[in-house]
Amino acid sequence: MSDARIKRMKDLPSTHLLGTGTPMCSGCGGLEALHEIYDVLGEKTVFVNAAGCMTLLSVYPFTPFRGSWLYTAMASAPAGAQGVRDALDILLEQGRIPPEDDLEVVVLTGDGSAYGMGMSATSGAMDRNLDFIYLCYDNEGYGNTGQQYSSATPHGAATSTSRGSRGYPGYKKDLFAVWAAHAPAYVATVIGSEPLDLARKIEKAKEIRGPRMIIALSPCPTGWDYDPKLSVEIGKLAVSTGVWPLKEYIDGKVTHTRLPHDRPPVEEYLKLQGRFAHLFEPARDEELLADIQARVDRYWENVTPA
Amino acid sequence: MYRIRIHGRGGQGIKMASRILGTALFRSGFTVQDAPKYGAERRGAPIFSTVRAARATGPGQAINERGIIHRPDLVVVADDTLLAVPAAGTLLGIDSGSVVLVNSHEKAATWRERLNLDATLLILPAGEEVEDRAELPHVGATCAGAAACLLGVIEPEALAAAIAEELAGLGEPVVEKNRTRALAAFTAMMDQRGVVREGTAIAAEGFTPPSWIELPFEDASISAPDIRAAANSVQVRTGLWRTLRPVIDYDHCGKCWWVCSTFCPDSAILVENGLPVIDYDHCKGCMVCVGVCPPHAIAGIPEYLAQAQDALETETGESNGPDTADR
Repeated sequence: MSDARIKRMKDLPSTHLLGTGTPMCSGCGGLEALHEIYDVLGEKTVFVNAAGCMTLLSVYPFTPFRGSWLYTAMASAPAGAQGVRDALDILLEQGRIPPEDDLEVVVLTGDGSAYGMGMSATSGAMDRNLDFIYLCYDNEGYGNTGQQYSSATPHGAATSTSRGSRGYPGYKKDLFAVWAAHAPAYVATVIGSEPLDLARKIEKAKEIRGPRMIIALSPCPTGWDYDPKLSVEIGKLAVSTGVWPLKEYIDGKVTHTRLPHDRPPVEEYLKLQGRFAHLFEPARDEELLADIQARVDRYWENVTPA
Repeated sequence: MYRIRIHGRGGQGIKMASRILGTALFRSGFTVQDAPKYGAERRGAPIFSTVRAARATGPGQAINERGIIHRPDLVVVADDTLLAVPAAGTLLGIDSGSVVLVNSHEKAATWRERLNLDATLLILPAGEEVEDRAELPHVGATCAGAAACLLGVIEPEALAAAIAEELAGLGEPVVEKNRTRALAAFTAMMDQRGVVREGTAIAAEGFTPPSWIELPFEDASISAPDIRAAANSVQVRTGLWRTLRPVIDYDHCGKCWWVCSTFCPDSAILVENGLPVIDYDHCKGCMVCVGVCPPHAIAGIPEYLAQAQDALETETGESNGPDTADR
């Protein structure tokens, strides 16, 4: 374990590794999480990026990263990570790079890839016990192409492919559970608006070897339809209302790192977002609101305090 | 054929403006082509869309041109701060026959003096949209309404019908809001109705292609060299996306830099000697810092006012403002 533990907000890094000048939207919750994560991971990181919003981070000749970046097809980022990891291992074994030049291999994908198209490759990488970090920025839809719904879209949300008074008819897939079922080294949920919880988890992941899987809920002003200034407020509400449980899986055990007490009603979170406006206008959809609330309540009923 | 270019920022409804104008022209008997610029630019970034419209009087009236409009008959600038941004390309190809319509708080005389253009420059008085971000998506419809009037070939009924058609999916309240603003802008420009003159269409027959410069094939190491600089995206000045500027009042700053500097999605708040410093070359103006600052020491002010203040302070020699460009 490193001795520089992050215990308080004050311990968070004051210099930021991720370069400014990226083409991400103003107020991007995914970029917020990424820059916080990169600060903890450090410069010796190579990113393997599946197609998505963050593909645009490195558009030739510009990059916000301080090291290499590899672009893969939407379903193949973990396979790309395997290749990079293998190459590094061979270089290390042959003594062509010294151990201190080793890199952490980080897969960076959106929810479209993590929850859907890339699931098979991810499952295989966990089966092979690949030593890598998977970072999913989850903005609950195919944001880069105009917010079509994905398997991460929450029930009732309007997307460009789920319009109408009921929104998206499906339910958000529990990717945490799917990943944890593979029994990898580490699985955690994080959010940029809770930087201390995030930093502690990334610090922990950094000290472990094997597949380390991180899901960052990423408030998205463009796709969720709200003023960019609300990104942090919406993120905090996602946690306090219980919509986004902060938790980790390690050694076969799931621990909630934040137990929201006196959860405010979920509608406090929903009503700030245009994608849920049809639940309140022209008339309140009591049935749908109750259904969403009941599912959150049911989740927390099954959580036993640590 | 009319060639119209509409400039604005992502999120102002510029793509929608070209669709509304295109549909209104189509409903007025024209053959129409309209398209937004496609790129990686996001909310706040300079973007543009184009409309070409030819009188559909018979065969052979198809629009043969494609792509970017290089010689516009009408340029609409939805956000006047873009005029000073070369990368936005608002003034590309303007000549004495062009009409430039600027959505601005300032007078036409001011912009004529600043830009020294050999073109007709008109002002669409800027409304609350520039102050209140929630109103931003209506800028596009407002500009489309003003442009429709300047063209002189669109009746208000066709404009209203085009708005209803294009925005139908967003519900009647949204349609109504946009229609009201567009028709008000149409009425506001009545003095100048029909001021835009139609440019001549270039016939496909006898078209001389541009004289291409032949570039020899180069080795990949020359034509696409490796970029080894770390974090060189700092050379992209995303600060020009900003319509609101966060300003720290250091008298009230609690020196808790770990709050604003961590939450800033763009890593655009630096920490210097224990104080947060906003990097205005890259701040996109999301205002997240304004919301999270514990002592409420950061205020958001409209960028155009902030720039006017900067100019004033530079003139009077009081301050040049914090220069973060070379950090």
